[in-house]
Amino acid sequence: MTQPWSSAPRAPGRPEPANLADILERVLDKGIVVAGDIRVNLLDIELLTIRLRLLIASVDRAREMGIDWWEHDPTLSSGKGGLADENRRLRERIGELETVADGGGDTRARATPANREVADPAGRQIRTRRSRPGQDNDG
Amino acid sequence: MGDNSATWVYAVTRDPDPVLLRAAGVGGEPVRAIGDAELAAVAGSVDANAFGEAALERRLSDPDELEAIARAHHQVIEVVAAARPTLPLRLATVYRDDDRVRALLTQRRAEFGDMLRWLDGRTEYGVKVWADPEVMTGGDKQEQAGQTMQVPGGRSADVGGDGATGRGPTAGTAYLLRRRANLTARADGWQHGAARGEEIHAALGRLAVAARRHAPQDPRLTGNEDGWMVLNGAYLVDSGRGQEFAATAGAMVSGLAGFQLDVTGPWPAYSFSVGRDQ
Repeated sequence: MTQPWSSAPRAPGRPEPANLADILERVLDKGIVVAGDIRVNLLDIELLTIRLRLLIASVDRAREMGIDWWEHDPTLSSGKGGLADENRRLRERIGELETVADGGGDTRARATPANREVADPAGRQIRTRRSRPGQDNDG
Repeated sequence: MGDNSATWVYAVTRDPDPVLLRAAGVGGEPVRAIGDAELAAVAGSVDANAFGEAALERRLSDPDELEAIARAHHQVIEVVAAARPTLPLRLATVYRDDDRVRALLTQRRAEFGDMLRWLDGRTEYGVKVWADPEVMTGGDKQEQAGQTMQVPGGRSADVGGDGATGRGPTAGTAYLLRRRANLTARADGWQHGAARGEEIHAALGRLAVAARRHAPQDPRLTGNEDGWMVLNGAYLVDSGRGQEFAATAGAMVSGLAGFQLDVTGPWPAYSFSVGRDQ
């Protein structure tokens, strides 16, 4: 069997310990947690940052991997509104179908609120998580 | 200190004054000690507007700002930890003023003192081990080349077969068999890699005062998307034995095909300052 990887320690070239992932892992997730006067939920920040970094650094690479959620994430794709558009189209389509099925009536009004909720999943999620009490001290 | 400043806390340590002059904080501010020689917080005065809750949240959500702030926070801790036993504080620990920090020190004096004694003369190393999926699974390339013969058993009955002809599997069945074999090989390969990670962690743990396993890092952050991170460990070792530990760890996978190992450190004891014994 060939060895595509060396089994020796990684080649130098990365100053130690300056790797950003290593530093973030520690400063965001380790260390003593005390109740300061300012509360920032670092779990959310890490998540968001990874998303943004992915977006900035390697959109093409991510697309290759089939990761394209940001195109549907209202917090990251302002202006494009792909999901909102899709929702609107689906709402219209549902409305048409229900009109046909029920022989009329105002079924569109019923479909609308539920779809509106779907239109904003990421924002809602982040807000929910931020309000969670506790200090994410899961060592 | 006026109303427009807040106190950013980096670490808790002992007798920090002499080592602090070299460090600049997250806002470029000079870093100082709050407390006494026995127990002190390393802190800096930052602009309350720039480091208030909303501002901080926004800034930390910007990758470049997060990186700059994280590195600055880490750098101060590193300078202090190089000379003193040090408890790093999690990023973004901010108080209204120094009195609030003094209150914290008073309140948790015994606990902090115990932890500093425990950490004294010790330092943290990180060890990550990656497994190469291709090697772990015995080489995906063969399967990709369409050699379905490797399917365990090859019993067509298992997948419903194709009784009508009684001959070999149809294209669809062959695909399913191949797919299942791939999945099985992948699962087995992962098991193999994970088991080796477990062994390495156990062996390194015996060389250390304490050991912790962390979640594998997100490949999007590490940039290593080709390997499985089967170990992301942290080890607290006596400072005098740091070199030895790093060398031993570095040699852990020599002779093992398909494994790659990365030692980082010495680090401040981040991974061992997480509410010990609480």
